[in-house]
Amino acid sequence: MLRIEKIKEENKDILRLIGEVDASNSVLLDQSIQEVVQQGASFLLIDGKELGYISSAGLGVFMSYLDEFSEKGIRFAIFGLNDQVGEVFKILGLDRLISIVPDKLTAIASQHES
Amino acid sequence: MIKTPSLPLGRISLLLAILVWLALVLVDLVRIFGMINNLDSGISEEVTWILEILFFFFVYLVYRHIFWKNRQADFLTLIWRGVSNGLFAAGAGLLTELIYLTLGESKIGTDPFLNNIFYHINFAWTSAFLISTTLLWRHLILYQKNKQVVKQWRVFELSMLGALFFVFFNHNNFDYSFLFGLVILLVVSIRLAVNLKWIPYLNFKEKWKTLLFLFLILLSSGILFYRVLSYGNEAILQINLTDNLFIMALFGFVFAYGLFSFLVTLFNLPTSSVFEQKLTEAINFQKLSQSIQPEDNEEQVLDILLDSCISASYSDGAWIELNSKEQIQLKHPLRLLDQATQTALAALIPKETQSWTLSPSTEQAQTVRLNHDVYKSALLVPLIVNKSIVARIILIKEVKEGFNKEMMSIIGTFARQACISVENHRLLNQAIANERYQEELKIAQRVQKALLPLELDHPDSFEICAYSNTADEVGGDYYDTYQVDAAHFVVIMGDVSGKGTSAAFHMAQMKGVFQSLIQLGLKPAEFMKKANAALSKCLERNHFITASIFEIDTNSQTFCHARAGHIPTLWYKAKEKTAEFISMEGLGLGIVRNPSYQNHVHEKTFNYQKGDILVLLTDGILEGRNEKGEQFGYERLKNLVEANPQLAPSILQQVIIDSLHQFVGGDGMIDDDYSLLVVKFTHPE
Repeated sequence: MLRIEKIKEENKDILRLIGEVDASNSVLLDQSIQEVVQQGASFLLIDGKELGYISSAGLGVFMSYLDEFSEKGIRFAIFGLNDQVGEVFKILGLDRLISIVPDKLTAIASQHES
Repeated sequence: MIKTPSLPLGRISLLLAILVWLALVLVDLVRIFGMINNLDSGISEEVTWILEILFFFFVYLVYRHIFWKNRQADFLTLIWRGVSNGLFAAGAGLLTELIYLTLGESKIGTDPFLNNIFYHINFAWTSAFLISTTLLWRHLILYQKNKQVVKQWRVFELSMLGALFFVFFNHNNFDYSFLFGLVILLVVSIRLAVNLKWIPYLNFKEKWKTLLFLFLILLSSGILFYRVLSYGNEAILQINLTDNLFIMALFGFVFAYGLFSFLVTLFNLPTSSVFEQKLTEAINFQKLSQSIQPEDNEEQVLDILLDSCISASYSDGAWIELNSKEQIQLKHPLRLLDQATQTALAALIPKETQSWTLSPSTEQAQTVRLNHDVYKSALLVPLIVNKSIVARIILIKEVKEGFNKEMMSIIGTFARQACISVENHRLLNQAIANERYQEELKIAQRVQKALLPLELDHPDSFEICAYSNTADEVGGDYYDTYQVDAAHFVVIMGDVSGKGTSAAFHMAQMKGVFQSLIQLGLKPAEFMKKANAALSKCLERNHFITASIFEIDTNSQTFCHARAGHIPTLWYKAKEKTAEFISMEGLGLGIVRNPSYQNHVHEKTFNYQKGDILVLLTDGILEGRNEKGEQFGYERLKNLVEANPQLAPSILQQVIIDSLHQFVGGDGMIDDDYSLLVVKFTHPE
């Protein structure tokens, strides 16, 4: 089961993922990101505090947007992942391509840094 | 007149009947000769009677046989046969009379012998007519038999048998006993004559024909009866065969049943359309319930339904309105109306009754009053399949409130039956389609199984075994081995993101790419770079592949390893008796689709010892979850291998899979493809 909450904060679009992302519902995640991108988001944050599990299909969704984010100059970060889910990103090597940070503040701070 | 039956029994009876009749003629002529010349012919009248009874008996047998052969014929054919017999007999009788009229008082005209021969001929025809008609009536009476009718018929037969032998008791006198017997037989006949259940089964046209035929039978029997009576009055005759209770009773029965049938058929004429209607409805119903063959289509069912509804309600117009969501196309959705009238009428029907959403008001058939010059009432019948209204039948009549309760109930039944047919039809087609998909998937499964190696290349210095299972019919896990030269072996494992059919196609591509690159003798990191470049061209944008590659050199006892986002390999070191996951940086294949990928992959060479074990796996194993939602995880696998390092690879592999299944249990799940490959170094000593 996956529930996605969209939160808009100033210039930031936050997608809160609640539940699990697997092959059956990764389409939902894809649709949500697409909508946000089409609405002209400039800073997309994924809140993964309540994300219990992500399968390779879910990772594939993030991966497929990386080029588009960099082309359109959209900043993208994932925060609040638990150890298990964080490990999945790390093993695949996505931590080198996506900014994966402990919490929202760090995510916002990293934006100012860059 | 008498048709020759093909079976010997019929023929023998016919022959015997003729022989008996000839004997009867002979005996009677001799007797008459004796009477005229006042000589004792030595033949008593009992001989005549016995021959007469025998003649009746054989004629009866002949007709029993004919009826038995024609028992499947329809009523009209049988009645026609009776008519032809009757006309023949009556015609013969009238002809005889005509001959005698012309002969007048001449010598031949008064010759008792000739007269008697004619009498005997007429007697034979009359008996044949009466017996055959009685058997015809029997057939009609017993058309819908029950115990009581059969019993009544038995009584009738027995009393007729009695009448046959009555002549011995009564000596052919017309006295009170004769009258008494006749009255009893007539009462029995009339009681039987009310069994007329065959008549309603005739249609209107057949009833008219039946009336004509019955009239002819009545006419024939009337003529014959008159002739018999007039014979009895002729003084010239000394031997009377026809003033016989049996013959008289048969006349009574034939006439009574003929008359009853005639009258009932006549009075049934006005109501016959109702019965025909019911019969048509029953047939339509049968048609609807039979039209569920998969090759038939729904249009056919709706077509039959529309026709059935129109005929059941005597509608003056009708059409089918289809829900726009349905894929059905009707060739003739409009009946008895033109397009303009239909549009006008449709506009008169309230919108809310035409809604396609299912509600208590729309799921029932409903009548609508129309404010139209010609058409005054309408009936809307919804067709509900699988809880949605697929179509609506609109029946139109020129009279106000033209749809009575019976019509609505029969139309409702038709509609339900048609819906069941449509639903069955859909389910059947669905089942067939499913079957086909299953079949296709089985083929895919077989093809994919063949993509995994049957045998793994390895030297004596290490043992290897592998296992793979898919979450769906097909999956995206892959492993392979390749022998570069005597001392160099490559072991590889890959995992396509996602699962199912798309993963399986990518797995096939991965095998192609890996098999090509493996030939080039590339070092692991270079191999991954090339693989990334090749796969980037063929993977869908949201798919990636993770892979682990080991190049084992048995000479130097080293392995060079590169990891592309794959689950780290577990390495059990025999010397230290501990296992660890080989952690190395490395990005999955197809994630970065440009040359910069080379920054994301590395290789490293390790020395191994005898007894060391490598366990390559895919994430399906680690992510297997028990009912509490806990994952099998790295730690359990590590402990398992550390506890069983002495086992041969195949057994160790089985232990891991068993404990994974045990961990997951009945309620847990492994919702991904999972694969395992175990290498155990056995040399050098």
